[in-house]
Amino acid sequence: MAEYVGLKPQPGRTLSDQLFQLGLEFPCGGCSSCGGCRVRLIGGEIPITEHMREALSEGELAAGWRLACQADASVPVTLDIEQWSARILTDNARVAFEPAEGYGAVIDLGTTTLVVELVDLATGDIRAVLAGLNPQGRQGSDVMSRIEFDLRSPGVLTGLIRGALGAMLADVAQGRPLREVLLCGNTAMHHLFCGHSVAPLSQVPFSSPLLRNGEFRGEDLGWSAASVSFLPCVGGFVGSDLLAGLVACGMTESEQVVALLDLGTNGEIALGNRDGIVCASTAAGPAFEGGRIRMGMRAGDGAIDRVEAAAGGLRCHVLGGVTARGICGSGLVDAVAAGLHQASVAASGRLAGGLLPLRDGVHLTQSDIRELQLAKGAIAAGLEILRKQLGVEAGSVRTIYLAGAFGNYVRVESARRIGLLPSWEAPVVPAGNSAVRGARLLLLNASRRNQLIGRVLRLARHVELAGDPEFQETFIEKMRFG
Amino acid sequence: MADWDRLRQAIIGGDAKTAGAVAHEAIAAGEEALPLIQKYMVPAMDEVGRLYECEEYFVPELLLSARAMKAALDPLRPLLAASGAKPAGKVVIGTVKGDLHDIGKNLVASLLEGGGFEVIDLGADVAPQKFIDAVETTGANIVALSALLTVTMPSIKTTIEALKAAGVRDRVKVMVGGAPVTQQFADQVGADAYSESATSAVTAARRLVAAG
Repeated sequence: MAEYVGLKPQPGRTLSDQLFQLGLEFPCGGCSSCGGCRVRLIGGEIPITEHMREALSEGELAAGWRLACQADASVPVTLDIEQWSARILTDNARVAFEPAEGYGAVIDLGTTTLVVELVDLATGDIRAVLAGLNPQGRQGSDVMSRIEFDLRSPGVLTGLIRGALGAMLADVAQGRPLREVLLCGNTAMHHLFCGHSVAPLSQVPFSSPLLRNGEFRGEDLGWSAASVSFLPCVGGFVGSDLLAGLVACGMTESEQVVALLDLGTNGEIALGNRDGIVCASTAAGPAFEGGRIRMGMRAGDGAIDRVEAAAGGLRCHVLGGVTARGICGSGLVDAVAAGLHQASVAASGRLAGGLLPLRDGVHLTQSDIRELQLAKGAIAAGLEILRKQLGVEAGSVRTIYLAGAFGNYVRVESARRIGLLPSWEAPVVPAGNSAVRGARLLLLNASRRNQLIGRVLRLARHVELAGDPEFQETFIEKMRFG
Repeated sequence: MADWDRLRQAIIGGDAKTAGAVAHEAIAAGEEALPLIQKYMVPAMDEVGRLYECEEYFVPELLLSARAMKAALDPLRPLLAASGAKPAGKVVIGTVKGDLHDIGKNLVASLLEGGGFEVIDLGADVAPQKFIDAVETTGANIVALSALLTVTMPSIKTTIEALKAAGVRDRVKVMVGGAPVTQQFADQVGADAYSESATSAVTAARRLVAAG
């Protein structure tokens, strides 16, 4: 039961515009280089462009595959959209609160996804939740391409995100006045939302003077909220999403050393306890969300999300019970772990025969495994460098919290097998969307808010991984599968 | 000349300890440096490059082989110098200002060394003036510039312009690389060569030297 979308030509808007409006992402920023936005033509006609010929094979073109970022049509078309119904992680865990009057909202402004929650300040209840895709996605999937875009065309991304979030807020609030809105996100998202110059984030030492400036009156943004605060960033690209996550997992109060890994598009890692915290960011994310993987897609219908080694091959589970169309991050980690188990993938990452067939024609290539090696190597090396910087033994880390959608769905055993997670004894605990939960905790505890935030900012030290003399050695070592 | 294929195999296998030991053994047996390099070591690195291009090898294997090459090259260097053999070329290499990423640049530097070039590595976040100074003091004939971020790519352009302004641009060939760098970008900034991978950088450098 594939799900198709039908579109008619519209004056002044290309098919590409329409698809983007529907939530389709262009992972490479619409420059036709990645093939990640491909759609399959079921009915009608989309002319093949030169760019499509470069990105897609003859066979794929013949099977109806086209690049959405380059698509236009003069006739009605029916399309099968590969990146379909993304699974975005919201959070409904209750937090401690001080009752107050009225309503407020919290927003998790992710590089890829957005989550908006309407919160009843009297009861602490979440009254409505809305998730969506960051409309800046059209200008590139990672923070660096957004920064580059903003340097070339200042202000465009700021307008886009304020508009999209304003509409989502109006949607959840349904006319109820909002006393306060708190936002969290990485440093690039913070700067782009606030309208700060991203120039300091474009080169070494990646440090901006405006990490803590994010106060607005709702009317300044055209929002129906009294006050709007973007929570302060920690340093480098480590933003208030990690700050909120640290508040949510209680690292600043913890006697024991714990780790928090938020494996989103902009991967953020923290390690420490109430005596001190080190944190870092790594641009490892896209592979875990299906980016840069030949048949990669985000976790939605048709994505292989689980793979197990079985007699005579691999057993694959597909989301939505439909024909497999691609593979998402958790499936990728599982598939490689199973491949290692069956020795079709070597510890060096070498894939026997160059192809790992999964199901319904979905497969992994050697390059896909190389991408995973780079991504997991960066995360694992980051954690190892932080451990050394904090000066603790692996055995003294008591819990590893995994935040973010990928962290919530990835199978821990597989993540350990491929070396994405360390072989430390500490149990791995999925922490859900700890960013939005931490932001809600801060919203609901107005009298303690500044104290909680101040504590994180005092304790947390940002580490620039690329500047650590041991990073290269560690990264290369961690690229291997054991 | 005895058969020193073990040297070739050790480099391909990324075994620095054996590669260094075999090189010492060969020297003790009275072998000359240049034939050893030409017959066993350069073909070994060419094979490593091929394995990388066809995805059989990845960054860790490439690095191990480059290290094995270096381990074999180190004891041979004094012999080379004594025999008056000249390096294939002299390369000043660095990651441009604003960018701290140097893994790719380090790989290119090791492979160029393995390919017989003399390499002066200026590190990461290198200001244009440092490249100019290095060219002046070493008499290098190639400048290799790397950037890993789209936002630091303009720094490549600034560096090339600074080389021009200082009057040293005509003395050197400039090659550029790094994940976001493309042939088109290389053409735009007036570089003499672009290489897509670390292994093809050696071929590109050889071509630049041959073209004079």
